[in-house]
Amino acid sequence: MLGGSAESVVNDQLKFQAKRTVVETQEYTLHVISLEDGTLIREYVTPGGKVFGVSWSGPTIPDLPQLLGSYNAEFQNAVHVKNGHRRAAGVHDSDLVVESSGRMRAFYGRAYLNSMLPSGVGQEIVK
Amino acid sequence: MSRRGRLACARGLVFALLMGLAACGGGGGSSSSGGNTTPPVVTTINNVQPVVVDSGPSLNGQPIGANDELFTTVTICVPGTSTCQSIDHVLVDTGSSGLRLLSGNIALTLPFVTDTTNNPIGNCVQFADTSYQWGPLVKVDVKLAGEVASSVPIQIAGAPNFAAVPTSCSAGGIPAQTLLQLGANGILGVGLFRQDCGPACASSSPPAIYFSCSATGCTPTSVALTGQLQNPVWMFPQDNNGLAIVLPQVGAAGAVSVAGSMIFGIGTQSNNGLGSAQAQAANANTGNFTTTFNGVPYTTSYIDSGSSGFFILDSTTTGLPNCASSSDAASFYCPTSPVSFTAITSGRNPNGSGTTVSANIAFSIANGVSLIDSPNTSFNNLGGPAPGVFDWGLPFFFGRTVFIGIESQTSAAGTGPYWAY
Repeated sequence: MLGGSAESVVNDQLKFQAKRTVVETQEYTLHVISLEDGTLIREYVTPGGKVFGVSWSGPTIPDLPQLLGSYNAEFQNAVHVKNGHRRAAGVHDSDLVVESSGRMRAFYGRAYLNSMLPSGVGQEIVK
Repeated sequence: MSRRGRLACARGLVFALLMGLAACGGGGGSSSSGGNTTPPVVTTINNVQPVVVDSGPSLNGQPIGANDELFTTVTICVPGTSTCQSIDHVLVDTGSSGLRLLSGNIALTLPFVTDTTNNPIGNCVQFADTSYQWGPLVKVDVKLAGEVASSVPIQIAGAPNFAAVPTSCSAGGIPAQTLLQLGANGILGVGLFRQDCGPACASSSPPAIYFSCSATGCTPTSVALTGQLQNPVWMFPQDNNGLAIVLPQVGAAGAVSVAGSMIFGIGTQSNNGLGSAQAQAANANTGNFTTTFNGVPYTTSYIDSGSSGFFILDSTTTGLPNCASSSDAASFYCPTSPVSFTAITSGRNPNGSGTTVSANIAFSIANGVSLIDSPNTSFNNLGGPAPGVFDWGLPFFFGRTVFIGIESQTSAAGTGPYWAY
């Protein structure tokens, strides 16, 4: 869950009833959660144990209230466009960035918090 | 363009002349074998469906204010009958497959499709902006131009007399099930695939696509390919191997509206030959291909008339500033003046030769706020971010004939899924 603790990643895994693998790097820990339908969720955790970024790719959009936590409300406000059907949506605030794109069979998205990026880690890591 | 009052042959002649091709009766694609001395009767089906980019359907007497959205009028009928209705301003979407209509527009009585346990089947579709459509499957005959697809499973979005949306479908997003929410009267998915979901939903039960809905609630279920939402084009008796979307070019400031054509079949009649178009195969699972931009290949690339802009990469990679979140054009790019780019699309030649086909595509992106706040609706230079993705949205279609080769269907270009332009 974006902004949550490392334990929140385990909660996500349980919620999604999915497999999880862990990749340790010097600057952060990457958790890859594999959903049954082929969707991949990646959660990026700081050395201090905070989820600074999440991403998703696959045939369906995962449960974003679960994945974005308290930041989902801001994303939903931003995408609440009345007119028009768009295939990409996003939030670009000074801290919160959420980007979502794709269509049936192939969705992609990511979210990160600028304030939580570990030193030496750029936002492009979250993908 | 008038759709009535002309003989099909006369209409074929009009398009044959426009396209500089053979005269009426020269096509048809039928052949006879053996020594039959009776010439085959070539019936020319009208395969040209008008499409338009305009300000969208009216709500309370005012156009809803669409930008870069391609619409058409779809006729649906109770299967096997002449009890029909036409619905205007249905979004033409090459990024999905299947017909989804808003329940508020449906005047026909259409029974729910049920599964083997007699439960009605619910269908969910999610969009990248996290909006969704939910509703029952029903069957209709779908009429487009002179073509008829019989007994096609379609979705009725927002049906009031149906089960509530499952939480895995809504997933915290907003519904796109009314005219105000969707900005269209429905979505006509005429993409690369025969079905909306395909093999994944036939062999497993993804959490948010098909549901078996009993009195106690809906649970995810698998649905055989033939029972899924179908791209109606591949169900036509003829002209069913794909289609072309033809839109004229617009100027840098856009146009108030643009009229074009959706032509069914590829190389099946005198008006739908490939001409100089080059075909590139798409990934058979995702529909994606590769676009190379500034020397970097992006494999998550697709052509999507249902995207109301070029949705490409991010501000850092493109050098384009995002529009302010508070502006009318949030989620678009806002350069102070138009910026020109070139990218290279590439894919395997779908003819099986093993070669790769590439095309250089020049395009430009202008200020999203200026475009959207203008009176125009049709832009070839509206764009916005999509991380790691190269989505050639509706702006790509202006000034082109774009062919969509449907999966497993063949033409002179090869076997789908492929694009040709």
